[in-house]
Amino acid sequence: MTDAFLRIENLTKNFGSFTALRNISLSVLEGEFVCFLGPSGCGKTTLLRAIAGLDIQTQGRVEQAGIDISILPPSERDFGIVFQSYALFPNLTVEKNVAYGLESRRAARTEVTTRVNELLSLVDLADQGKKYPSQLSGGQQQRVALARALATSPGLLLLDEPLSALDAKVRTHLRQEIKHLQRRLAVTTIMVTHDQEEALTMADRIVVMNHGIIEQIGSPEDIYAAPASEFVAQFIGTMNFVNVVVASANQGTHQGGVLEFSQNSLRPRESARLAFRPEDVEILEKSDEHNRDKVLGKVVSAEYLGAFLRVTIAPEGWESTLLADISTDIAARFVVEAGGDVAFRLPPEKILAYQESE
Amino acid sequence: MAAAEVQVRDKASPLKAKSSSDDKLMRLFILVIGAYLVVALAMPLYVMLSKSVLNSDGGFVGLSNYFAYFKTPSLVYSIKNSLFVGLVTTVITVSIAFVLAYGFTRSRMPGKPIFKTIAMIPILVPSLLPGIALIYLFGRQGIINWALFGHEIYGPIGIIISEVFFTLPHALIIIITALSIADARLYEAATALRASSTRIFFTVTLPGVRYGLISAGFVVFTLAVTDFGAPKVIGGDFNVLATDIYKQVIGQQNFEMGAVVSVVLLIPAALAFFVDRLVQKKQIALLSSRAVALEPKPSRRFDNGMLAYALVVSFFILGILGMCQFAALFKFFPYNLSLGLSNYQFDLMDGGGWDSYFNSIEMASYTAVFGTLIVFYGAYLVEKGKGLGVIRGAFQFLAMLPMAVPGLVLGLAYIFFFNMPSNPLNVLYHTMAILVISTITHFYTVSHLTATTALKQMDAQFESVAASLKQPFYRTFLRVTVPVCTPAILDISIYLFVNAMTTVSAVVFLYSPHTTLASVAVLNMDDAGDIAPAAAMGMMIFYTAASVKILHYFLSRGIEAKTQAWRRSIEN
Repeated sequence: MTDAFLRIENLTKNFGSFTALRNISLSVLEGEFVCFLGPSGCGKTTLLRAIAGLDIQTQGRVEQAGIDISILPPSERDFGIVFQSYALFPNLTVEKNVAYGLESRRAARTEVTTRVNELLSLVDLADQGKKYPSQLSGGQQQRVALARALATSPGLLLLDEPLSALDAKVRTHLRQEIKHLQRRLAVTTIMVTHDQEEALTMADRIVVMNHGIIEQIGSPEDIYAAPASEFVAQFIGTMNFVNVVVASANQGTHQGGVLEFSQNSLRPRESARLAFRPEDVEILEKSDEHNRDKVLGKVVSAEYLGAFLRVTIAPEGWESTLLADISTDIAARFVVEAGGDVAFRLPPEKILAYQESE
Repeated sequence: MAAAEVQVRDKASPLKAKSSSDDKLMRLFILVIGAYLVVALAMPLYVMLSKSVLNSDGGFVGLSNYFAYFKTPSLVYSIKNSLFVGLVTTVITVSIAFVLAYGFTRSRMPGKPIFKTIAMIPILVPSLLPGIALIYLFGRQGIINWALFGHEIYGPIGIIISEVFFTLPHALIIIITALSIADARLYEAATALRASSTRIFFTVTLPGVRYGLISAGFVVFTLAVTDFGAPKVIGGDFNVLATDIYKQVIGQQNFEMGAVVSVVLLIPAALAFFVDRLVQKKQIALLSSRAVALEPKPSRRFDNGMLAYALVVSFFILGILGMCQFAALFKFFPYNLSLGLSNYQFDLMDGGGWDSYFNSIEMASYTAVFGTLIVFYGAYLVEKGKGLGVIRGAFQFLAMLPMAVPGLVLGLAYIFFFNMPSNPLNVLYHTMAILVISTITHFYTVSHLTATTALKQMDAQFESVAASLKQPFYRTFLRVTVPVCTPAILDISIYLFVNAMTTVSAVVFLYSPHTTLASVAVLNMDDAGDIAPAAAMGMMIFYTAASVKILHYFLSRGIEAKTQAWRRSIEN
């Protein structure tokens, strides 16, 4: 990737003896929407602040549009930023807030007004310009913050948990809106979030972080379908785990029997953790004799979630239960109900295997 | 891999951020204001401390001044006296203030705003004034001196009553704050568990305000121990540390011994201050928790009891004040009690005449204007500046230090420092400027804390946003920080003005014949036996401070209506 717009190389950040970021390398393409996703304390905000120059890294290089910006102060970099707290100037009207970055650039007054109006209609707040931030709802305030950050047409838009302070419904709506806006303006965007749904729905690529390192970089589909590490598997979506001892290249044994999986990077006798998603559990006819990998179990409980049932199954001989998502008509067809018996199989191609972490 | 593992793979030195022009400018400013604190505080204190180990010719004598001090029984006795006055005042003031604050916050007594205003009056008068009133009430020819049953008002009794008057508002503010952050949910829970009201008081109310009470105690103790006005006027032969410093310096010109007593006085004041800082931190932690405000329920008996109590306290305060006013108006107490303005002919007395009064107003105005500028800008730089961590830390320490330094000690330190022939700054000696500088420095801490609190309440990301929008910091400072902090800025200016009007302690060593001050005139006229004119001048200070305070109130409302419109618009 030679045409990366933003390139981060071997970036490390220490706070005293604590290493918040460890040797991070990463490239972002022009116009791309990238999400830094991870639990709190994983270093995602630290990385964003290093990119902005607000808290400079201890080691490493940051390059934007071909220029080394590693040690530049924020005011000499080219970015717009939106914080979780909006950080709107409370004593200035919405218009003045949006115009804040434009005024001193010697732009003519009418130009500024035109640009402000343009931005406000872009974020659907054309008629709110004269109000003070405190007169707007949280979602509206966040849109003002967005307009303010975009006013100077920055090359890079940084969003630090922009939706976390909003309630669920507004959040979903604003997600779409930000995504559309980003597509339309084709502005390279980095968003920090701890909300996987947000990352999966908005990002072109997701950077999953944990303990100051990058666990995986990939498209939402990659991240969900093929988590590169046990951490990612556990962090994204719902996942069942089974501890096994590797028997052969693609077989593992555990108390309940033998499970087949597709990967074969593991060595025999190693401990491994197999992972599969609830929706990949295949329900079988209890009397089906043809399936040699049929597993029998008891339904511990069944939760009705509208389109599907989330069923907790205790397979015979297994040390732990597992979750299975079953569409309601399959559940009806195979009579899956709490307290009853159930038969299922785990398709080997859907089972992921991870080396047991020490 | 263990997370705690510290792995230093790359031994190269950490990256250094390139400073923006903003960063450089802010560093320059913080160095300038920091230099102010070094010159106006650190260096004078250092010179004073070193004087205590020198003889009058400037030779080093080790601790022999201290030995001489502790061998003089009359001087050592003052330590005991000071502690006695401090402790008794603390107990009395905190008790009175607690009950009053309890009435203000937990009862539905009528007239709370009026009583609160009355309770704040002592802030507006010099600490000399209650002493003068007490002389008229309980002195040898006092109007109601029978009420003391033969005891002498000159001495500890007079000092303690004066100090209670003087320290009451300070304790009251702290305790009201502590009581008003109470969480209603705790009380509801206690009531639901069927705790009796006494049990609730001891298990919920008192623990909730304990830090406030401790803090109030330390503040009162420090004020009472370091105050110089009351013991000077009504102390009689009862010597305390503060009057000893004055006597050593002004009476006997023994500067070295003055320095020794100053160091002795510095110890309890500094100790009380540091303990108080620790306690305050805990109080702040309580404050930040989310609480549901407590709405007192009406209870006729309790409300009436609290009303009666507030009336008694107000009567005490207004009585002292009213006595002073009458003392000023009586033609010749106690023989001719007809009223007139003859005592206002200050130009006929010692103390600098009417000039003193106008000097005071001038001094207080300069202090308010320059002090607010320096303090607020300094606090802003400490709070929002980048880099220079050590210097910002030192700045913060210096800004907190004046609280621990009694005014007299600061004043004496100024004599030593600014009167040194080798000091190029000695051109300031005996000027209005040195009075202004000493007063700003003396009252720096509270102003700084007010500014810091206001600045901390602002979103920490404003500066980051402004930098990303490539706006210079001073633009954001002027367009956002100052307007948002206007209420705090106004508070600082009035605080400085009022204190500059009433203070005696630091300036008593620093005024010159051209720069006499009203508060010092009160002292000097009282000293010369012109008690009635002293009372008259004291009341002039009160009326001025009160008028300015009222003016300030309306002015701030006007300004806030303009600049704080956004505050009122908050959506339900």
